[in-house]
Amino acid sequence: MNAVEIENLRRVYRATIGTFRRSIKEVVAVDNISLAVQPGELFGLLGPNGAGKTTTVKMLTTLLIPTGGTARILGYDIVRQADQVRPIIGFIFGGERGLYWRLSGRDNLQYFADLYRVEPRVAKKRIPHLLELVGLKGRDDEKVEGYSRGMRQRLHIARALLHDPQVLFLDEPTLGLDPVGARELRSMIRDLSTQGKTILLTTHYMFEADALCERIAVINHGRIIALDTPAGLKRYAQDLSVVEVEVFGIEDNALEQIRALPAVEAVSVENQDQRQVVLVQSSHGSAVMQPLMEILAGMRVGKVVVREPTLEDAYVRLVGGEKGIAQVD
Amino acid sequence: MTGLLNWLRVFVRGAVLSYIALFRWFRPAQYTASKIVMPLNQILFFTLLGSYALGTNSAPFFAIGNSLQIAAVSGIYGVTMSVGGERWEGTLVYLFGTPASRMSIFLGRAFVHILDGMLGVILGLAWSGLLLGVDFSHTSLLALALTILITAASTSGLGLLMGAVSLAALETFFVNNTVYFLLLVFSGANVPLQNFPGWVQAFSYMLPLTRGIQAARQIVAGAGLSEVAPLLIGEAAVGAIYIGLGYLLFRTFETIAKRRGRLESF
Repeated sequence: MNAVEIENLRRVYRATIGTFRRSIKEVVAVDNISLAVQPGELFGLLGPNGAGKTTTVKMLTTLLIPTGGTARILGYDIVRQADQVRPIIGFIFGGERGLYWRLSGRDNLQYFADLYRVEPRVAKKRIPHLLELVGLKGRDDEKVEGYSRGMRQRLHIARALLHDPQVLFLDEPTLGLDPVGARELRSMIRDLSTQGKTILLTTHYMFEADALCERIAVINHGRIIALDTPAGLKRYAQDLSVVEVEVFGIEDNALEQIRALPAVEAVSVENQDQRQVVLVQSSHGSAVMQPLMEILAGMRVGKVVVREPTLEDAYVRLVGGEKGIAQVD
Repeated sequence: MTGLLNWLRVFVRGAVLSYIALFRWFRPAQYTASKIVMPLNQILFFTLLGSYALGTNSAPFFAIGNSLQIAAVSGIYGVTMSVGGERWEGTLVYLFGTPASRMSIFLGRAFVHILDGMLGVILGLAWSGLLLGVDFSHTSLLALALTILITAASTSGLGLLMGAVSLAALETFFVNNTVYFLLLVFSGANVPLQNFPGWVQAFSYMLPLTRGIQAARQIVAGAGLSEVAPLLIGEAAVGAIYIGLGYLLFRTFETIAKRRGRLESF
């Protein structure tokens, strides 16, 4: 039996537009997705903001009723058997909210242990153990309002593990964490996976999915556009070469000109303080270099590197880049 | 048996922790201002105004009415904050993801506020005796205590309903203020019910507090428990109806929010 089984899952939101002359607009957040996660697998759902990752997790955790399709967690239907699903899953959503800030970390866990029907004698042993596991031992009697963002996120992990769930849904768990906090959390997720937990992790950080997940589904505009191992996904970009150009103050019209170059597959920009790193994916190797430098003439240009494609390049290509979504079978 | 024990744990621990976590006035300065100073001012204001207009003999009418009405500070504002506050804390989504009994979660939100409301009423009555000369020498304290308990509980019943409304309406204080002032006017705390037209009196008797205030006035005047029993049974029944409606709305809210994807929206 699969730990998570999704068949043609669909979710449409209805949004009201206007104040006086109101009209209703339908937004398809998840569009007929199907996938299966094996027991004990660490599965990644990767996609840009608004791709449908959180909506999918909300449906799988019984917090949102699907518009169509079905999903089962360890054989239980998420709608018809929601009462059976809830005790066997744990979930966290990214961000700091969702804890009682005026209570201590320990009181938060104690209350959720009751809500998850954990026997008091079990909770008495498990709560200190979890507090130690997430590195909050010694801070457990302090109010959550005094915790850092990373501490709150770790407390969320402890909360999700209170009832020893078989399946964990982690929705962008490292969102907003500093690099050290994010690394600690990733290490914790890896440990949980080695303990045999089935984990469905959503993220929009490619390296995070690459470092943690055994298989990754790339989701965009509510649809799964690729599903493979990290190594398999990298093959989507193996025919590309990537030019990285460090520029100070590039303007939109220059980016448009780069995008319009015939050999260019996709262009993305990373803002780093005063400078931007322009990533140009090309299917014609370094042939793009000369017209690219002509467009950038007159601008202050820093380091220029031509490199092999990475998983991130495959992801950029898959989710559309600037020249449309790659069609994947 | 295990199920019942867990139900009670969720009820009791949820009651205490939700009070600490979600009742925004649970800090010394806010508590003193909202639960002691404001109610005291309300009692003094209406009693002195009433005495000026109708004579000092009317002071017990206003003092007792407004003392009982203080139950609404906890019952309406407090309970609504403890139910509706889940949305502001962002905990609603986690709460509804648990397998816990929704009834024990819901009822637990009112429990400490009932006790807190009773304390408020007792303080109000003490001020009435000390500052406004209300005579308690003929009062059956047991009957009065029971009246305070039932009135605080029934008012919290309306608070639970309003809490569920505030979840759906995404608004807490508009709901609170409207209901609080409706009670102030129509519960008979400050205006004798017979001064209202018949349909308004009928509305008054649909509210909590109305019968509780009448019972308290009669008890302070020397009536025994058996004499006010019909009023107390009526007050308890009104409270039970509001609790039932509140729970129904709470469950409906959960279902609709999950259908529309609005558990977290503000």
